[in-house]
Amino acid sequence: MTSVTGAALSASLGASLLAAVAGAALPRRVRPAGAGLCTAVAGAAAVVAGVAAMTGRSWSAWLPELLPLAGVRLAVDPLGGLFIAVTGAVAVCAAVYGVGYARPPRDGHGHGLDGRTVQAVLPLFVAAMLLVPAAASVSTFLVAWELMALASLLLVVAEHRHRASVGTAGLWYAVMTHLGLVAILAGLAGLAAAAHGESFDRLRAAAEGLSPAVRGAVFVATFAGFASKAGIIPLHVWLPRAHPEAPSHVSALMSAAMVNLGGYGIVRVGFDLLGGGPVWWWLLVLAAGAVSALYGILQAAVATDLKRLLAYSTCENMGLVLVGLGAGGLLLTAGARPPAALALTAALLHVVNHAAFKTLLFLAAGSVLRATGLRDLDALGGLRTRMPLTTAAFAVGALAASALPLGNGFVSEWLLLQSLIGSLGEGGTISAVTMPVAVAALALSAGLAVATFVKAFGTGFLARPRTPQAQAAAESPATMGVGMGVAAACCLALALVPAFTAPGLAGAVQVVLPGQDALTGQVTLRLAAASSTVSPLLIAVSVVGAVALLRIAMIRRARRRARLWDCGMGPLNARMEYTATSFAEPLQRVFDDVLAPETDLNVTPLAESAYLVESVTYRARVGDRIERRLYRPVVAAAAAVGEAARRLANGSVHRYLAYGFGTFTGVLILLAVTR
Amino acid sequence: MSDVTYVRLLDLACGAFLLAAVLVLWRRDLAAIVRLFAIQGAALAALVAVLGVHEGLDGHGAELLALGAGLAVLRAVVLPRLLRRAIVGGDVRETEPLVNVAASLVVAAGLALLSYAVTRPVVALEPSPAVRAVPVALTVVLIGFFVLVTRRRALSQVVGFLLVDNGITAVAFLTTSGVPLIVELGVSLDVLLAVLVLQVLTARMRAAFGGTDLDDLRELRD
Amino acid sequence: MSGSMSVAGTVEAAAQVVLVAAGSPLLVGVMRQVKARLEGRAGAGVLQPWRDLRKLLRKEAITPDGTGPVFRAAPLVLTATALVAAGIVPIATTASPLDGAADLFAVTALLALGTVALALAALDTATAFGGMGASREMTVLALVEPTILMSVFALSVPAGSTNLGAIVNSTLHEPQRVASPVSLLAAVALAVVVIAEAGRIPVDNPATHLELTMIHEAMVLEYAGPDLALVEWASAMRLTVLLGLVANLFAPWGIASADTAAAALAALPLALAVFAVKVAVLGGALAAGEVFMAKLRMFRVPELLAGSFVMALLAVAASFFLA
Repeated sequence: MTSVTGAALSASLGASLLAAVAGAALPRRVRPAGAGLCTAVAGAAAVVAGVAAMTGRSWSAWLPELLPLAGVRLAVDPLGGLFIAVTGAVAVCAAVYGVGYARPPRDGHGHGLDGRTVQAVLPLFVAAMLLVPAAASVSTFLVAWELMALASLLLVVAEHRHRASVGTAGLWYAVMTHLGLVAILAGLAGLAAAAHGESFDRLRAAAEGLSPAVRGAVFVATFAGFASKAGIIPLHVWLPRAHPEAPSHVSALMSAAMVNLGGYGIVRVGFDLLGGGPVWWWLLVLAAGAVSALYGILQAAVATDLKRLLAYSTCENMGLVLVGLGAGGLLLTAGARPPAALALTAALLHVVNHAAFKTLLFLAAGSVLRATGLRDLDALGGLRTRMPLTTAAFAVGALAASALPLGNGFVSEWLLLQSLIGSLGEGGTISAVTMPVAVAALALSAGLAVATFVKAFGTGFLARPRTPQAQAAAESPATMGVGMGVAAACCLALALVPAFTAPGLAGAVQVVLPGQDALTGQVTLRLAAASSTVSPLLIAVSVVGAVALLRIAMIRRARRRARLWDCGMGPLNARMEYTATSFAEPLQRVFDDVLAPETDLNVTPLAESAYLVESVTYRARVGDRIERRLYRPVVAAAAAVGEAARRLANGSVHRYLAYGFGTFTGVLILLAVTR
Repeated sequence: MSDVTYVRLLDLACGAFLLAAVLVLWRRDLAAIVRLFAIQGAALAALVAVLGVHEGLDGHGAELLALGAGLAVLRAVVLPRLLRRAIVGGDVRETEPLVNVAASLVVAAGLALLSYAVTRPVVALEPSPAVRAVPVALTVVLIGFFVLVTRRRALSQVVGFLLVDNGITAVAFLTTSGVPLIVELGVSLDVLLAVLVLQVLTARMRAAFGGTDLDDLRELRD
Repeated sequence: MSGSMSVAGTVEAAAQVVLVAAGSPLLVGVMRQVKARLEGRAGAGVLQPWRDLRKLLRKEAITPDGTGPVFRAAPLVLTATALVAAGIVPIATTASPLDGAADLFAVTALLALGTVALALAALDTATAFGGMGASREMTVLALVEPTILMSVFALSVPAGSTNLGAIVNSTLHEPQRVASPVSLLAAVALAVVVIAEAGRIPVDNPATHLELTMIHEAMVLEYAGPDLALVEWASAMRLTVLLGLVANLFAPWGIASADTAAAALAALPLALAVFAVKVAVLGGALAAGEVFMAKLRMFRVPELLAGSFVMALLAVAASFFLA
């Protein structure tokens, strides 16, 4: 039965290639549909492959001819299968959605998304993301990783002709992703060199005997690389730039599927290949995760660009995943296996949940963007009557993202909290100090997430339209609705009966922690490591039932329309509404010291008297403080070095030749001296 | 006194001791800060008295009780009165500390965790109820230091310094269950002297500059 | 046995929902009366909130211009979450059939869901008042969350579970635990949280209609008639549930936790009566405290919450280091 996984994965990769060919060859009119449907088939096949692998049908293959020197080594175990299934599911939603999204809206001028490049590269991006968790050797992994990075880079800059900011975002992304690649390359190459082999099996066998210094160096290098892919603070700078600027279905793929692979890398290398490590590794992971969760959601809470808000929320959620992984590692080091399994299960379930609701949210945001051309929450509003489907989709996603009951984010955050609380007595003083802090970080990020998504949904979709563009919005085509609908259905299923993921998650966790079953129960979730229980389905049924009863009890007469309370000043208009900025202002003031907003107040007095004001301008901007403090100096230094290097090249051919000659003789002299 | 009552009273005294330090961070009103400091002094004296009663009233215990009475007079009455005299005519509020109040409180929580973690080996040496409370005393030392670092008014600085001293005294009593009378007397006199000197300095500063914001002193550098 | 127990549990849970539903306006009445007497007024009587609700329910339902389904659904969701929470929280019994379905985290999240529904409704009205109220409420909610979870953490350590029934049962079996530093610190922290969540002084003033100070009242400004009745009723139920939670987490005596169905049912009336007394006493104390306090400035509220967070964190630390 091992062939189901292999056959489905091969079918998926084949369908992706077919989609790429279709995207390159078909005429423009049918191109999005052809490529999109093939990609959706590829995604569906990947889901089949992943689920088969998670339920124990592992598969491996060695294709020595495909790559020179090392060949391609593939192996799908339950852990890889989980990420393949998630990527596949996201790909299905994004591909179907993309069919409609690529078609130019009513007014005719398209975003150029139905061009050959985008249509051909998108399936390749999906294929690369499927190959990363299937890779079973260092070279295969790195090739797949780089393919993924390049494909996503091409997709991020797809709309560079329309907005100048796309180019900047692409540049940041290119630099950060390649620095990350260098870190991973260095780490894995070092590991392979020390292990005298590059297949993952060989590494796993040799990792025991390596010196702690080598293991630590490998872990830190790969962690830096994977963390930058996962958008972990302070390596996140590319994420809030690239995700908003990419086409929305690509944002969904990046934010819901690609960043997960950073988490996958940490599990694969830290837990599986290196077999766990000392406490400081996991404290590093935990601290990075907690900081990321807090800073990410704080930036999201004050963001007014809808897609930037979602991007920062990705930083937050990947931070939560890392908190789970770090706690798991910490507990594993302390020898507490059941709580460790619970923490890892929570982290992986959060990966799944985040993928589901972030796909939905980005697709809904894309639908808004396509209909109005706006991402600024301060300019939106009133979409609920104009785009009811999109509004409903965003509501489901926002409920999930704010980790409230009836949403799927609640389940995994609940598990994460249980694992942190249950581990208080397990790891000695270190866990006794870190776990309360981690719980506090988690709690604050959950609270801020509620505020963030109330803001996003309340100001973006409810109330009145604030601009003519929002006023003129119309519902998106059916294919986009189908894409959002599939994602919403996944969210609801995960929210109501999360137990159906338990066997798959248990399989994935058992790859690194054999023999541990963290989660049992069908309707009520029971934990192996703690005696707490929760039943999302019962809660949902009770609340919905109570709402229905009250509704029946309250229906009696027709409702009468009436004017809003306007303080007797005449009708209210849209300029009097609270905007997203004003909504977030109290939070911005509370966290003033962390966010350091730049405010600028100019009062122009009248010429006659300094006490009479002619005009007042107020400008406030909340930038990314880490970017300003950490990266600007580095970028400035790099620019200065580059500027200095220009003096080396003054255009004289003789000078250039002299450089070559000088270097050549210099090397020869060096050889002569040292030999 | 039964063991259970002893532990209860000890916990209570330590709780009040710590709470007073935390509240010093919370209040802005200098008079309230001095009042809290007096309460903390009383809690410290009570702590010493509880230890004394537990030791038994013959010999060492009686000495501890006497020390407790002395501490009560000095730290709950004399020092607060001196400090209150420094407030009269000066600034009455710690308007804008260098670290805002909410952040200070969160930092205090972190300091508490830190001192719990740091004193684990000490507690493990001899896990008696008194030694178990050492982290509380250490937290007060750290909070006092934090007050010194972040508060602007000269008077809050003095209170910070006195918090540190209270904390150190508490650590000494909790770990050794008793400092020789003569040592404690010396320390107390030192503290009294220091406060007197600081009070004179504050008064002079106010006479010279009209305020006691320590950041203004930076201009005296050149 | 287990079948008859679950039947008894269902009956008890239903009884506590009915008690909260019927009694919560009376609690508000008691609190107003205590306040009035302390301020030297005669007061409107304990039954006045019920009379208000009856009057509102008889009025016509109003849909303000430009509001949508969210605005109409919010009072229903708010009331539904309060009712479900009343069925879960151990008020008269620890054997509620919903006890296993939702632990303390889930209950607080459920109440937060109701708040979110109301905040969205406030934003849906597109008025400045609504937005202001929603924004402030969400800020307070976000800052309250760490304290809630931290106190839950502290309380769950001795019981080894976050399920409410388990926590209450463990306190019943070891009553001396109530006087421990962990429990006292957690109680103070949770009390502050309850005040913030229920929108009482010094965080919010339930009696104000002044723009600058409103939080909750600004959100519900556009509601009228039966919708307003639901909102008022739900607020009273939330207050009752939260006070009851504090009462029974720290002083669970009187709750029906018998082993047989018949004994449990027999103990039910007493349990309900004891609960009513406990909540009335707590509510009276809260009202009396409010007479002597002023509302804090909005931007001093984080300091209060940070203080309660320190208490909760110390409780957690103490539960590990003093154990």
